[in-house]
Amino acid sequence: MEEIKADILILGSGGAGLFAALHAYDSNPRLKIVLATKGLIGKCGCSRMVQGGYNVVLDPKDSVELHFKDTIKGGAFINNQELAWTLVNDAPKRIHEMETKIGCFFDRREDGRIHQKPFAGQSFDRTVHRGDLTGIEIIARATDQVFARDITVLEETRGLELLTNSNGDRVVGALLMNIRTGQFIVVNAKAVIVATGGSASMYKISAPSFDKTGDGMAMCWRAGAEFVDMEMLQFHPTGLLAGKSRLSGSVLEEGLRGAGGRLYNAIGERFMERYDPERLERSTRDRVARAGYMEIMAGRGTPAGGVLLDMSHLGAEFVESKFPGMCERVRDIGKDLAREPVEVSPTAHFQMGGVRIDVNCYSSLKGLFVAGEDAGGVHGANRLGGNGIADSTVFGARAGDAAAEFAQSQDWVPVDQVQVKMFTNNVLKFFGRADGPDVYQLRDELKNLMWEKVGVVRTGQKLEQALKRLAEMSEEVERAKLPTGSLRGYNLALNEILNLRNQLVVAQLVAASALYRKESRGSHYREDFPETDNQNWLCNIFMRKKGDGYFIETRPVKLTRLRPEDVAAK
Amino acid sequence: MTLNVKVFRFNPETDKMPRFDTFKIEEFPNMAVLDVVMNIQNYHDPTLAYRCSCRIGMCGSCAMYINGRPRLACRTQVSSLGTKDITIMPLPNLPIIRDLAVDMEPFFEKYKKIKPYLIPKQDLKEPVICKPDSGERELIDYMLECITCGACYGACTMVATDPHYLGPAALTRAYCLIADKRDAATRERLVIVEQSEGVWRCHTQFNCAEVCPKKIVPTQAIQQLKKRCVFKRLGLFRG
Repeated sequence: MEEIKADILILGSGGAGLFAALHAYDSNPRLKIVLATKGLIGKCGCSRMVQGGYNVVLDPKDSVELHFKDTIKGGAFINNQELAWTLVNDAPKRIHEMETKIGCFFDRREDGRIHQKPFAGQSFDRTVHRGDLTGIEIIARATDQVFARDITVLEETRGLELLTNSNGDRVVGALLMNIRTGQFIVVNAKAVIVATGGSASMYKISAPSFDKTGDGMAMCWRAGAEFVDMEMLQFHPTGLLAGKSRLSGSVLEEGLRGAGGRLYNAIGERFMERYDPERLERSTRDRVARAGYMEIMAGRGTPAGGVLLDMSHLGAEFVESKFPGMCERVRDIGKDLAREPVEVSPTAHFQMGGVRIDVNCYSSLKGLFVAGEDAGGVHGANRLGGNGIADSTVFGARAGDAAAEFAQSQDWVPVDQVQVKMFTNNVLKFFGRADGPDVYQLRDELKNLMWEKVGVVRTGQKLEQALKRLAEMSEEVERAKLPTGSLRGYNLALNEILNLRNQLVVAQLVAASALYRKESRGSHYREDFPETDNQNWLCNIFMRKKGDGYFIETRPVKLTRLRPEDVAAK
Repeated sequence: MTLNVKVFRFNPETDKMPRFDTFKIEEFPNMAVLDVVMNIQNYHDPTLAYRCSCRIGMCGSCAMYINGRPRLACRTQVSSLGTKDITIMPLPNLPIIRDLAVDMEPFFEKYKKIKPYLIPKQDLKEPVICKPDSGERELIDYMLECITCGACYGACTMVATDPHYLGPAALTRAYCLIADKRDAATRERLVIVEQSEGVWRCHTQFNCAEVCPKKIVPTQAIQQLKKRCVFKRLGLFRG
């Protein structure tokens, strides 16, 4: 088995992984840095798919205090305020770095300065962008910079498990698998940065790329890291509906609503007038998504189960020039975004919950750093559009800086070969098993189950039913079959089994935490507890593994910078 | 409607010759070729190998040779093909890992040769001020949409006949940096692209432009580079 010794191992090549690599390398070019990515570098994950843009304070009329306030309000006050404060303060530095060092070029205003566009839930137009396909520019340029540095890149190589010391409190590396060959790789690293993204793909209608299956979160969970607010999973209000096509669920960007796009139900009512008369379609994602879902459930949806997004009143020329990427995508399904209403549905999009970290991305396990969507706390109960890529680049950079510093003061802790053997056996066992549950059927079932029972609107009863079935499915996936004569290399069915195994871990955390929070807040809506209850639930829910089960508890939110009454008073 | 789908199968480690497998797949509305491929792999033959990621034309992972032409599988609607017979093969001009998955390494090796990363000028301390109507970035801006899917590389006859030719995508990236006023390595890159395996290999056949899913015209970038190379030889290049 191939063994690599590295100072820092990074899992993932989205915004968080790439910025971690660049910052770690630039902190100390002598460090041996290995970046492993499930797909091709910079091509997998969701940072690449960022459309709308990047929230950042650049204009003197705007302020980080305002950005902070919007973020906390948007997050319904359960954000970790120190993380949110770090986000808004570091974002300008990252945009500056992108424009002057990394080589990104964002759209400009008439006067030649960086343009910022309106997004929902914001008190100032602060979203930096490149057209309506911003992620391509950020991720392609950051990838180019990785090519300029002596960083070992392992493409189509997935993380299987984190490796720990005998006490289980120190991460000492990771077991990887080269997807092309099916061969295992052991990386003994002083520091591991996990940045593989969330698991929203476990829902029937979902936005993320297919490779994103909560691998990092599941690995961190199995290794014993502490998690926070796992019930908080965002549904984006405007996922494109395209029938059975896999295009379904892909996001039509937030800027459309920012620019004045309207939402109608099937009987022609502009329904946001009833749900948020003040902000209408520019309300936060949690509210707009839930409103759309309620309309559909009340029988006022389209036959295909959607509502209608209409841009036509803004003028076809305007829509086509500002949103060429969105127009093109809609054209692929034979519709004209600039001239007619388009069917959309809430789509599972982003996990606010994740591994608990501090402002330097330290997790509860020594040697384990977590950044981006895998980490929790920055966005509280709901993330603002445009704060996602800001999160991944800001905390990716911080994880890189912190891991570099950590690695310089630490020695390698040896890998436990017995543990490695146990983990490799847990993959190899599927070969030669021609009978058993079909992984694709299980995956489809998971997607439906999550959509129906752990979705936009939840109840205690539905969540309990989900948890029961999820536990059974976790056993079934371990007995899944592989086609006879399966090869080790490029075995997509095997990878689907490994994906599903991870998605099931994350699914159970989401459902269990959702069952625990007996109130509604942000993206988490309980039909049986429809009110926000600040008296009892202005707190975070923490979970960690305990034997085969878990330990769960709440701790009050630390209102270090802003209290709910500060906002209400103004 | 039923689609007749022929899929290229080949494992270079064990197979002497490639073969085609045929599948009958039910068409549904808005079906993309990627839906066809996934349908086959998920429900008909789980051993099929292919690559995809974002499924909305942003990552450039799923370029394949579909009915005789390099295209992104995710952005190719079945209805646009005008036939129920679909033949899916791996992207040409690249080594096959297995079935429809190709090794992009030669493509990126060449991409890396032109130093695809910004090497900022010393005095670049703030984001540049650049008016949209200045025309300064007119060509670069739309070329930055490149998603390095390799469709152009697969369509280029010069790449097919000269394995060392840098190819359309790498040269387009080189142009974007050479025309970028923030960059300090213009001459360095011109020296790279003016080699015999650089811009002069392009015979302006426009195959790259025809297949680019982002509607970029690499030929245009290459001609811009040729102009600068000539000026440089004549001692007239400023920049």
